[in-house]
Amino acid sequence: MRQWFRIAFPRNPLERRKRAGFLFVLPALLFFGSVFILPLAQSIMYSFYKIAPGGAKEFVGLRLYEKVLTDPTFWTAVGNTVQLLLLSVPTTVVLALAVALGLNRITSLKWRNLWASMYFLPFATSLVAAALIWQWIYDPIYGFLNYALSFVGIPPQKWLQSLAEVRPAIAAVSIWVRIGFDTMIFLAALQSIPEEYYEAANIDGASAVQRLRYITLPLLNSQIIMVCILELIFNFKIFDQVYATTQGGPAGASQTIIGLLYDTAFKYFRFGDASVMAVFVFVTLMLVTLLQWRFLRKPVVY
Amino acid sequence: MNSIAQSVKPDTRETRATRRVHVRWVIMLAVASGAIVVFFPFFWMAVTSLKTSPEIQRVPLQIAPDHWLNLSNYVEVFKREPFMRYLLNSAIVAAVAAVSSVVVSSLAGFGFAKYQFPGRDVFFLAVVGILMVPFQSVVVPLYIWMNDLGLLDTYAGIVAPDLVSVFGIFLMRNAIETIPNDYIDAARIDGASELRIFFLVVLPSVKPAIATLLIIKFMWSWNEFFWPMVVISSPQMKVVTMGLMSFTNMYFIEYNLLTAAAMISILPILVIFITLQRWVVQGVVMSGLKG
Repeated sequence: MRQWFRIAFPRNPLERRKRAGFLFVLPALLFFGSVFILPLAQSIMYSFYKIAPGGAKEFVGLRLYEKVLTDPTFWTAVGNTVQLLLLSVPTTVVLALAVALGLNRITSLKWRNLWASMYFLPFATSLVAAALIWQWIYDPIYGFLNYALSFVGIPPQKWLQSLAEVRPAIAAVSIWVRIGFDTMIFLAALQSIPEEYYEAANIDGASAVQRLRYITLPLLNSQIIMVCILELIFNFKIFDQVYATTQGGPAGASQTIIGLLYDTAFKYFRFGDASVMAVFVFVTLMLVTLLQWRFLRKPVVY
Repeated sequence: MNSIAQSVKPDTRETRATRRVHVRWVIMLAVASGAIVVFFPFFWMAVTSLKTSPEIQRVPLQIAPDHWLNLSNYVEVFKREPFMRYLLNSAIVAAVAAVSSVVVSSLAGFGFAKYQFPGRDVFFLAVVGILMVPFQSVVVPLYIWMNDLGLLDTYAGIVAPDLVSVFGIFLMRNAIETIPNDYIDAARIDGASELRIFFLVVLPSVKPAIATLLIIKFMWSWNEFFWPMVVISSPQMKVVTMGLMSFTNMYFIEYNLLTAAAMISILPILVIFITLQRWVVQGVVMSGLKG
């Protein structure tokens, strides 16, 4: 307490300097406090209240939790999200790792940069634009994908309009968007591995597989975990790609948690129900992040 | 050394070398074909945007457009929708978000990196902890706030949650930490105020980080979709990602128009991105934050 009094009323240059430091971080603290901390508290509070459109609130305890958590629509959305996640996260990470390993082997800097930028390009586009381009490629009648598949004898598929194919199709869009981002992280890590490690392994007669297994992968361990977590979080919050194309359809087969939250809050204006979902999303992602900190024993800071 | 070399077959070294060359080519080929697959949707978007509506409905599909210089779709995009306005809205929002992010983040980064004050480490951890709070979890209260403040459907409302990012504070703190304390102390001895030190010593030495943050933040804001969907309701306030959606409301989506609109929406970012890619990559690598 006295420390804070000294900051408010500094007596000497040293205390004035401390005050300056605090004032420098103050705008950021105020921002995060009002845009994240306070609304988060409100979200938690709203999840216990029934809110009438006029703004009148009525405390209902855990009733909204009971309602949302027993609603099959909610669990379908959770199931869809998890399925999308399982389809896209491992694929993205494995492909990105493969691409990074490949890029790292290309000695010509010019070519390496060219290929790397091509992989990285989707990262710069908005998810909306990406999804809409893919929707056109997926078009059942005029789309390029069915056209290309016809050459290998595969009949036209309905992709985004099919109950079974809609999730893999959307997962492919997420993979396409994210692969370059992960590749860049892996490539930077690969390039920081000292060449001597490989030279030593070569002298010992290690094969390429052994070098990968015993040098590269262990040294990339923290990046792999970090990328997995980032992808997990990114894909758990999937919304743009779905909303721009299927809007959750056909028949709810691609409805995701955030999609349902959006509809509940801003289509039906059931803020209480949406707040329960918001708390669910927050708690789930917090558990994931805490898991990450456990794995890495420190937050990912470079 | 010699005895080992002689004990293996004499041609081993040569075959190994040629195999290595082969492997190199296989890798090069795999990487290149993957890159081409990843690039294909961009090519397909560009080609489609040059076709007419009957052309894109041709069976069997034809790759090349009839006229490579047919820009009528681009003209039509601006006629159908106030697309210029959408671009302008996005530019305003993204520019404000980027600049404000740089200002607030570099101030905070300086405070966290170079000052001792009570609670500093706790505050920094709290800022890192914000990463755990997904924006979607706070969107309902924020919407109610914006409604109460009369900021729905205004620039201020669109940009408000986007003014600072944890990523920026990280980036700036890490950059400012590398400035030698001697420089700062020297300026102090010369009688410079703390704010003057910030402007004259700190900011000029972290120009690369500032460039990185400006570009990445501009890109993120430009591509934002979820929050604009929540706050914006009138057509003239729409940002470009929402503007794209206007071309999907028909029974048969006119993909020739949609791809032209998508090209226009992506182009500004792509130009920035390609010319300044070094900074973007640096930003991604320096902290792979924000999902």
